[in-house]
Amino acid sequence: MAAISHLYRAVTYRGREGQIAWLLHRITGIGVFLFLLLHIVDIFLMSFGPGVFDAVLFIYHQFLFKLLIVFGLYLGVLYHALNGIRVVLIDFFPPLARYQAQLWRVQLVIFALAYIPSAILMLSAMFDGH
Amino acid sequence: MQVPLSLRSRPANNLELYAWLFTRLSAILLFLMAGFHLVYMHLILGVDAINFEVIAGRWQSPFWRLYDLFLLTFGWLHGANGMRIILDDYVHHQGWRVIVKSVLCLVVLFIIVVGAYVIITFRP
Repeated sequence: MAAISHLYRAVTYRGREGQIAWLLHRITGIGVFLFLLLHIVDIFLMSFGPGVFDAVLFIYHQFLFKLLIVFGLYLGVLYHALNGIRVVLIDFFPPLARYQAQLWRVQLVIFALAYIPSAILMLSAMFDGH
Repeated sequence: MQVPLSLRSRPANNLELYAWLFTRLSAILLFLMAGFHLVYMHLILGVDAINFEVIAGRWQSPFWRLYDLFLLTFGWLHGANGMRIILDDYVHHQGWRVIVKSVLCLVVLFIIVVGAYVIITFRP
């Protein structure tokens, strides 16, 4: 119940750019953490030789998993990375805090410029292979 | 209004300061290193091209072993510290806090040991 009311308050609280930026940073952070958990365990399987490793890597070659990489992992890492740089800049140069909302908009433009072409590249590589 | 120094609550140690600084410094490093890792693995090489042989070849070079060890250490600890902060935000009950943070601590240790083990000891 506490979690539901918390979520309700998080969504309805009008914190504008700063709050949305923070919420997305948190969600993408948790997502990347969970992916790393899986990724480090799968790399550990290198110790068991090519038979075991390539058998498990088959998951990564699934169509659905590759879609998840493009629209989940890649999107999440890119947002988290760009927003993280914005946070570092503001923390190390405090006067920038006045422009945090404008910086977030600039960040979204950079995100779109970096994400859209690379997503198209990855998706087209997916369809070329089939 | 300035609060007198004697009335400000001072932390017992600088742990949170170092955690804050580590998050920011590792963020800059990860922006470059994890950024290159993703661009190389997903855009240049492509997921389909990755298999046992490719990674075994990559680990022939001590440079790439060190690179992966850096990614593992900084990436995983950056994430672990973030999860610690998030748990502090949402788990208020003292007993649950101890349980949940102990589990996090064990998972973080386990994963870093397992990851470092394979990168350091791997023989093709």
